[in-house]
Amino acid sequence: MDDQAKILKYLISVEKLAEEILNDKREIIMLDKRRNHNREALRDLSKSSQSKCWVTIGSVLVKHNVEGTKVLLEADQTQLNIDINKLRSNLKVKVNKLRDLEMQPPVPGLMLVPITNKESEGLSRAGLFSR
Amino acid sequence: MASLAAAQVQEVRSITRIERIGAHSHIRGLGLDDALEPRAISQGMVGQKMARKAAGVILQMIREGKIAGRAVLLAGQPGTGKTAIAMGLAQALGPDTPFTSMAGSEIYSLEMSKTEALTQAIRKSIGIRIKEESEIIEGEVVEVVVERAAGGGGARSGRLTLKTTDMETNYDMGTKMIDSLLKEKVQAGDVITIDKATGKINKLGRSFARARDYDATGQQARFVQCPEGELQKRKEVVHTVTLHEVDVINSRTHGFLALFSGDTGEIKSEIREQINSKVAEWREEGKAEMIPGVLFIDEAHMLDIECFSFLNRALESETAPVVIMATNRGITRIRGTNYKSPHGIPLDLLDRMIIVPTTPYSHQELREILNIRCEEEDCQMSADALTVLTRVATETSLRYAIQLITTASLVAKRRKATEVSMEDVKKVYSLFLDEHRSEQFLKEYQDEFMFNDGSGDASQLMEVSQ
Repeated sequence: MDDQAKILKYLISVEKLAEEILNDKREIIMLDKRRNHNREALRDLSKSSQSKCWVTIGSVLVKHNVEGTKVLLEADQTQLNIDINKLRSNLKVKVNKLRDLEMQPPVPGLMLVPITNKESEGLSRAGLFSR
Repeated sequence: MASLAAAQVQEVRSITRIERIGAHSHIRGLGLDDALEPRAISQGMVGQKMARKAAGVILQMIREGKIAGRAVLLAGQPGTGKTAIAMGLAQALGPDTPFTSMAGSEIYSLEMSKTEALTQAIRKSIGIRIKEESEIIEGEVVEVVVERAAGGGGARSGRLTLKTTDMETNYDMGTKMIDSLLKEKVQAGDVITIDKATGKINKLGRSFARARDYDATGQQARFVQCPEGELQKRKEVVHTVTLHEVDVINSRTHGFLALFSGDTGEIKSEIREQINSKVAEWREEGKAEMIPGVLFIDEAHMLDIECFSFLNRALESETAPVVIMATNRGITRIRGTNYKSPHGIPLDLLDRMIIVPTTPYSHQELREILNIRCEEEDCQMSADALTVLTRVATETSLRYAIQLITTASLVAKRRKATEVSMEDVKKVYSLFLDEHRSEQFLKEYQDEFMFNDGSGDASQLMEVSQ
């Protein structure tokens, strides 16, 4: 009986973490979708010659001036970028934790700080990174 | 059509090259279970349980990075599976851990000094793990629209629509992006990646959904799945490179081409120092991880006293690989001196080593090994032929018996039999001499050979064999 409870507890912890990881991935996709929509909107706004535009907030359409909308969208973009990056870094920690729970070795080199662009360019030009 | 045939021929060739059978090609690992207990017959390994268990402990220590800077000596009679255990260890370590295998006599090369050869071997056995990160946009092209100003020339503008299974978006492009898209001949249905930092476009292939667009496609057409998830991805690639590779590409006199030709020559010590400090810097910043690998030196008694003292010093270094040596010598002269020492290795180095002995195989184990080799060499052998072969292995040597497998199967094939019988084995036994019978023969007829000094002490000459 005791064993069963222990196993159940273990399985719950694994499933919970796995579900969290999947949710985070979905969240990233959603945020990126919004990021791309915002980008398209910003682009269209910069091309349009009108002084006012329609903005949907929830299910309400609001007429707003272009400058103000741009500021709003840009603020949203920076926030989105921060959120996505935060989710991605947390995802790594969670994946390693899940692997730990599943008695698997951690992904090699997951927590490494990436080398700079210049360094990687030099190394790959020398043919060191085989693809 | 001709080029197609040529390509096929090449393919066949490369396959035959892969399938060549080596003396230890049947080894797939150490044959241990999860508790590091050796299984009797597993992964091509038979018997030698104590040595395999010891190798398993060493394996665990290497994986945990606890053994760096120490050495292991596999000592045992000829044909007791020393090389097999080292090979098994290499297989069990997996592809990520660097494993360098060399013979002791490889250091006597004319192109570089002995210590240089050893240093290169040591640095080949130390890997560093580094990560490359890039922000990329990855998706299937839905549409490329390029608008030219009337009359040609002038500013162009374009729009690129990309999608993944989850989303779709379009990008406005400037002249530069349009040019590189046109250069890569990107069209609707291609799966591409765009590097955000450099703007480099990479064509991954065509989407499966578009596989039926054309009836005839070139042979280089590659079909890939439409990417999943977000469009703007963060791509992280972890590379494992050895210090030696970094040395070579930074050595100005040789350049990276030397990596492929293998003609590296000597590398200046300043370059090594520079790379060491760069790697140390990377490690401090968390950009690189050290992976101490394994350097396997077969026939370690062929090293001389200079090499041993160099190794002694090199093992002290902070970033030393695990050095595994194998020797089949007993108490013998250390090369380059007049002193005798166990295994032909100086006592001070021997003191730093973990010594793993291998013992001769039993009758039953020999039979099993021969059976595995028969399978490896694709040869059907009858039970009584195997019994005879096992007898041969006990009386002469295991290596000689293994030689007889393929030769006997060839004889059997010539008389169009599907199975190797006892007669076939007996025939090749009479056709090919083993070491002992060859010696007998020489003793009997030594007067008729050239340059005979009449001493008849053939065993002296045979010492180097095996």
